[in-house]
Amino acid sequence: MRVAAVCDTHSMPSAPDVLRARGLVKKYKRIQAVDGLDLTVGAGERVALLGPNGAGKTTTLLMLLGVVSPDAGSVEIKGHHLPRHRSEAAAHVGFAAGYLPLPERLRVGEFLRLFGQLYGLSDPKPAVELGLNRFGVAHLADAMGNELSSGQRTLIGIVKATMHRPSLLVLDEPTASLDPDVALRVRTGLNRLCADEGTALLVTSHNMIEVERMCERVVFISSGRVVADGRPAEVAARFGRDDLEGVFLHLAEEREGA
Amino acid sequence: MSTTPVPVTTTTASPWLRIRAVARRHAYVLQRAPQRWFDVVVWPVVDAVLFGAIGVYFSRQSGVGDRGVGFLLAGILLFHVVFQAEVSLATGFMEETWSRNLLNLLVTPLREVEYVAGVVLFGLAKLAFSITVVSTVAFGLFAFNVSDIGLALIPIIAILLVVGWAVGLIVIGLILRVGQGAEILAWGLLAMLMPLSGIFYPVSALPGILQPIGKVLPLTHLFDAARSVLDGDGLPWDELGIAAAGSVVLAIAAAWFVVRMLATFRSRGYISRHM
Repeated sequence: MRVAAVCDTHSMPSAPDVLRARGLVKKYKRIQAVDGLDLTVGAGERVALLGPNGAGKTTTLLMLLGVVSPDAGSVEIKGHHLPRHRSEAAAHVGFAAGYLPLPERLRVGEFLRLFGQLYGLSDPKPAVELGLNRFGVAHLADAMGNELSSGQRTLIGIVKATMHRPSLLVLDEPTASLDPDVALRVRTGLNRLCADEGTALLVTSHNMIEVERMCERVVFISSGRVVADGRPAEVAARFGRDDLEGVFLHLAEEREGA
Repeated sequence: MSTTPVPVTTTTASPWLRIRAVARRHAYVLQRAPQRWFDVVVWPVVDAVLFGAIGVYFSRQSGVGDRGVGFLLAGILLFHVVFQAEVSLATGFMEETWSRNLLNLLVTPLREVEYVAGVVLFGLAKLAFSITVVSTVAFGLFAFNVSDIGLALIPIIAILLVVGWAVGLIVIGLILRVGQGAEILAWGLLAMLMPLSGIFYPVSALPGILQPIGKVLPLTHLFDAARSVLDGDGLPWDELGIAAAGSVVLAIAAAWFVVRMLATFRSRGYISRHM
């Protein structure tokens, strides 16, 4: 049985949107990666984009970031339309992914200062120090990028993504393969950042417990379509499951049976 | 927790900031990767010594005096201008793919033209260093003074740079389209053009079947112009004009090509090759 979309975003408190995506479609050869996806993220809102492997999460994120062009649909960030105003839109967005390494032959501090300038910081040093302190990694400033553990790399990637005080922080699997203590530090740092600066968060994760702790809204996608959108407990209840993990497993089974 | 505001400049005001950041990023790479100095200094010096010695030997055999040495050294020195310009741009981009930094860059406000400008800027610094070293070697070992070409050197080098950057853009476009399999062209494409462009000899020295190809290449006319100056015949403006027009056409075609390849890269999701 195919689930109908379960969406209750109308009951969510309204906030001016930092991200608006309408009717996104992406097909790679014969694979329909994303199929008419709508997504909005309000200012300061913390949203998780969830779904089984191959559901279209990363393709969706890459379209929202302007790295992949959609076959159809539109993306608007803080009023800037992609692709025409990609550079202006990107200034309001930070992106980090657990799978991205730091470039070789750069010290952490150099890497962060360079990216601070790419994001328009005329003097990136204060933002670098603030970011390193926020995530408890100030001691890594002089380390070479290729000397870091995967957890440290992830933390530095998030510092890079937040130095310019973005309105929207997009994270793809930020805590994948991290130790629980490092994952906790990531969550704590992100919660503090969102609370301090009103940053909106759009995050993908396969860790449903983490999502329930971090996000006030979840958007489940399957086969490139939104199948549920609402508060975690409400979405779980609507699928007749106890928690998000139950919803996730249900969608994964459905996908395998399709 | 401090929430001290961090000054952010607007994206329209900060292109120069971003261009400098890209140039500095590549300066760090060169500083920490000694093997990169081979392209910048070692190969050019090896070529200068090699072709200088060949020139001396054949000049003695044929009794033409120093002209042969001058032709060969001018040819290799000017070839290194176009080669360095091309390799700096192409390998600068390849560095982003090797270090899987492409996605990091593509999500920033950095515009494509700013990225190219940043890599070109640092490439110019490398080129200046490289040409200074090679010119010194050529002068010190073979008494060849490249400044004998005189003021004609300025338009000649300008056209060489345009051709080098254009070929670099074509290589970047091919890497965007077909991936790392195209990397060898960063060194190979100009190496293929080298014999066809009459760097050391007039195009009439080529086998007849290859001469039409040589004649349509802007570099051929440029090296003809350089040889004419070295011969004391003055700057042949017609040859220089053909070379300039050809280099502009090539640059426009290369820019169009890389823009198309970038559109294909975004459309087909080829970023997944670099994640």
